[in-house]
Amino acid sequence: MLKFAIRRTLYMFPILFGIALVTFLLFNVAGGDPAAQAAGKYATAEKIQEMRESLGIAGPLHEQFFGHLKQMATFDFGRSWSTKQTIRSMIFSGIGASVSLMVPVYVISLILAISLALLVAFLRGTFFDGATLVVSLALMSISSLVYILAGQYFVGYELGLFPINGWDSSLIARWQYLVLPTLIFVVLSLGSNVLFYRTVFLDQMYQDYVRTARSKGLADRVILFKHVLRNAMIPIITVVVTQLPFMILGSLLLESFFGIPGLGRMIVDAIQSSDFPVIKAMTTITAILVLVFQLVADLLYAVVDPRVQVR
Amino acid sequence: MKVASISSTAIDTKSKQDELEKGTSLWADAASRMKKKPVAVVSFWFVAFYLGLALLCALDLIFTSYSVVNNDIAYQAPTWAHWFGTDVFGRDVLARAAHGTVTSLTVGFFGAGIAMFIGTFFGAIGGYFGGKIDDLVVWLYTTVDTIPGILLVVSFSFVMGPSLKTVCLAIGLTAWVGHCRIIRGEYIKHRDQDYVQGAAALGAGHIRRIFLHILPNVFHLILINFSLGFVGAIKSEVILSFLGLGVEPGTPSWGVMINDAKQELFRGVWWGLAAATIFMFFLVLAVNLFNSELRDALDPKLKNK
Amino acid sequence: MSETILSVKNLAVDFKTDDGVVRAVKGVSFDIPKGKTVGLVGESGSGKSVSSLAVMGLIPNPPGEVTSGEILFDGQDLLKVSDAEMRRVRGNRISMIFQEPMTSLNPVFTVGNQICESLILHQGLDKRAAKQKAIELLDQVGIPNPSERVDSYPHEMSGGQRQRVMIAMAIACEPELLIADEPTTALDVTIQKQILELMADLQKKYGMSVLFITHDLGVIADIADDVVVMYRGDIVEKGNTEQIFQKPQHPYTKGLLACRPSLESNPQRLPMVSDFMTDEGEEIPNDIEATKGDKFVRSISEEENPIILQLKGVQKHFPLQKTLFGKVTKWVKAVDGVTLNVRKGRTLGLVGESGCGKTTLGRTVLRLIEPTGGQVIYDGKDITALDPNEMREMRKRMQIIFQDPYASLNPRMTVGAAIMEPMVIHNLGGSKAERVKMAGDLMERVGLSRMMLNRYPHEFSGGQRQRICIARALAVKPDFIICDESVSALDVSVQAQILNLLLDLQEEYGLTYIFISHDLAVVKFISDEVAVMYNGQVVEMNDAIGIYENPQHDYTKKLLSAIPKGIPKTMLQQ
Repeated sequence: MLKFAIRRTLYMFPILFGIALVTFLLFNVAGGDPAAQAAGKYATAEKIQEMRESLGIAGPLHEQFFGHLKQMATFDFGRSWSTKQTIRSMIFSGIGASVSLMVPVYVISLILAISLALLVAFLRGTFFDGATLVVSLALMSISSLVYILAGQYFVGYELGLFPINGWDSSLIARWQYLVLPTLIFVVLSLGSNVLFYRTVFLDQMYQDYVRTARSKGLADRVILFKHVLRNAMIPIITVVVTQLPFMILGSLLLESFFGIPGLGRMIVDAIQSSDFPVIKAMTTITAILVLVFQLVADLLYAVVDPRVQVR
Repeated sequence: MKVASISSTAIDTKSKQDELEKGTSLWADAASRMKKKPVAVVSFWFVAFYLGLALLCALDLIFTSYSVVNNDIAYQAPTWAHWFGTDVFGRDVLARAAHGTVTSLTVGFFGAGIAMFIGTFFGAIGGYFGGKIDDLVVWLYTTVDTIPGILLVVSFSFVMGPSLKTVCLAIGLTAWVGHCRIIRGEYIKHRDQDYVQGAAALGAGHIRRIFLHILPNVFHLILINFSLGFVGAIKSEVILSFLGLGVEPGTPSWGVMINDAKQELFRGVWWGLAAATIFMFFLVLAVNLFNSELRDALDPKLKNK
Repeated sequence: MSETILSVKNLAVDFKTDDGVVRAVKGVSFDIPKGKTVGLVGESGSGKSVSSLAVMGLIPNPPGEVTSGEILFDGQDLLKVSDAEMRRVRGNRISMIFQEPMTSLNPVFTVGNQICESLILHQGLDKRAAKQKAIELLDQVGIPNPSERVDSYPHEMSGGQRQRVMIAMAIACEPELLIADEPTTALDVTIQKQILELMADLQKKYGMSVLFITHDLGVIADIADDVVVMYRGDIVEKGNTEQIFQKPQHPYTKGLLACRPSLESNPQRLPMVSDFMTDEGEEIPNDIEATKGDKFVRSISEEENPIILQLKGVQKHFPLQKTLFGKVTKWVKAVDGVTLNVRKGRTLGLVGESGCGKTTLGRTVLRLIEPTGGQVIYDGKDITALDPNEMREMRKRMQIIFQDPYASLNPRMTVGAAIMEPMVIHNLGGSKAERVKMAGDLMERVGLSRMMLNRYPHEFSGGQRQRICIARALAVKPDFIICDESVSALDVSVQAQILNLLLDLQEEYGLTYIFISHDLAVVKFISDEVAVMYNGQVVEMNDAIGIYENPQHDYTKKLLSAIPKGIPKTMLQQ
């Protein structure tokens, strides 16, 4: 197991290098001179040079690349252009809000989708199954932006059930601001989630071992909840873990619309104000985070699936 | 089922006609199955309707009033003259939504098309050749895959400046990873199959094996993934518009219309949002439904055995 | 005579497909006496598996449906009982083992857990008692070290052991009836023998009745008391085993018995079902013994049959394990130094069990897999040293026919295009019209109509597809063909046709064959010389008669003794 873990960890380095390369090419090489754009038409040469330096695009390319690698290694991405704060401190102050939104959202939508998918798999071939399929596809055919707008307008504004906007630094008083975004996210992600998990379950239901289980006289219920679920959990765990870091981005729209001071809103603000260092930092950091979670997923996979030969 | 194939392949060896018997390819077979499914037929005609609409709009043959500004009738609620009301400049919302079809279909076709092309190419050579080439392909797509798609798209748009071309390119250059993974897996599976080995034994070269033998056998997956990518691209355009990285200002687009509802909705102006959502809903649903039926009809596993 | 445990009456099963309703079982009736083994035999599509699944109530619905009949088990009609009652019967009073021990066990639970399930469910044992019983059961089915192995996962066991676990699971509740659906088909012949012996022992011990489903008449003869022969959804003949084997009544049964190559006889050609019965099912009077012919050996002369292919120490090692820095620390020696000679116009049989390296060797000879050592000399040229262009030229002379006719034709290409492809690659036949004519001639040569050139592979049966593969191989006018398990996926009646066709073609074109197979009887029939492979090496080589009558190596002896004799046990005792 240890050897497998080491081998798998070492495999991260070429990818890390790849991430460094892609972000570098994107922001330092192809990006032209964002400093000139950002500094405005009437900026002085000194001003532009200063901005270039803050971006790390002042020297020759190879020096720039090493600077970029250094940033990645030290997690020091400099300061934001618009807020002038260090990016590191901005991330630390935003992470709490993001987590307190995304954890309940993720857990609720996951449990709901998996239970619904199990039910549909159990009732496969019935009217209920067909109806769920069509409803799920319909839910997927509406833009997530529409869910948010409609949710805010009807539930928040017209019915006045929950505040549309706002935040509270106390964890407990925060809940009222979280209900509506949670609700909206659960609905907007339900369709594709149910379809995905249904496919995973159905794949398993046609395996030979299910026939064996039936030949033993086990009830369908037992087969589904013991045999099928345990096998299906293997791909599900992988997907769930690898998707975790993307949750930061999933909350991008929600945070921005509901005024939640998290990382998602930080990215949206940065994009809208052309805040280059923040975008570059967030792109790099999220990529590294994804890489780490992929590693975790692979290690977990080796633990939950007895067939994986750990060498 | 074995049972079925035996009875359906009762072949008349005594046929004495001069003309060759006509065979039914798997494609023709899938098409005839699709024709029997009402959902598939209806969704096909929906997609065809959108294509026709987009074509007519692009040629400026219908809904020509989409860019006519008339400030006197700004934000008018739906009337018989304007079924979906008017927007902030008094332009007809229905006409703008109809012309938005052109933008969406363009983004869908080119975004998904570029992704399909890159993904298929890398997936095919990686999966087929294996070894160092495959290592390189895997490295490339793992790298791109770790960078969250939306941020990559944002970075692209940022670098290239907002325009329809940027949107297509940005989506295409990021969405190929999924294709690549699937196609690579298929090529690995197919390259060792007997029909490819048989072709090799007959002297067929790599190019022949990759394109003439394996490609037609994975093409159904390319098609299915293309339609998924198509839908994904259309939805991405909305998000990009929200981030201010969408199409050029003034171009009719559903993303821009939905995005404008941010301000409009709280002033009671719901028709812009409604029109764009309805237009998008039926297109995406039709493609999704058609795709799901296509998947059933094309699955070659159901055949043969 | 004796009591009946199961009585199937007029059972009919339909399957709904896109092309309409297919009647898989057309009203069959048979009985299983208490304590006896009934063999249900038939080729693919005969409805034998569907019948057995119907007894268990396991027909997948949709698309399948039992449309009529009765299944009386101990006097109770299983088609009428409730789901809950049926579940109390399944795994408790009737249990079943399946063909694929690989996929039939749940990969994420230990074998102990899976055996315990039915004990806990049907006998109400608690977990500890059930585990104790599971260990006893594993011991009974011959798993060494059962108290440790009970915690193993299926993937940690060999194919034979997995099938033993399946059997342990099936007999856990001491069922009155055991249904075995091709339980040994996926296993090597030496393992098959062990499993059959185990099943016979357990049957005696528990006094079970057994319904044994198989396509293999040899196995049936070994273990069944009664035989039921199915053909296209109908039962064509039933009776006790000796009677069926000695005096078959139905022409299909006669054909089936005759067309099977056996170790005892050595005919020039195999009899076929079509020698006994027309396609419409009418009988053609024919005598089984007469069709078998006399012992037949082809002569080998130095002038007419010089050595055309020489393998010298051919090796193929695959890397299995690498260090962090890519240095290989473990190799799989798939082919480990094989030296062989093949004579022109004759057939070398290459026989061995799964994993012995015979398929890898075949592909290495054609350089579909690059050898890691040794030389392959064909007609004086070392193939391993040829450059790509020379190799392409060489491919005109050396061809291969694969095992699975479903996988070896490109499903998106018409069979005409498939046969003409090698002509295009090698620039044979000047024009398109010329090629179409050549392809048509080839189709007719392998017994198909030239009118079918525009059809696609899925429109043909398995046997027809194998004929097409042969036609495609012949398109380059080769003089050497490797047949890699080329008849193994086919029904015995079709197998006989293809084997005869291969012999005819050899005669006509002076072809040289390497015939790779796990089936010793088939290899004996078609080969002039036979090489036995084991662990990547050739352990014995002799002429076809000699190797069977006078085996030298221990492994060859073991292999030969494991083959079912195909003679009913009551006849052997006489």
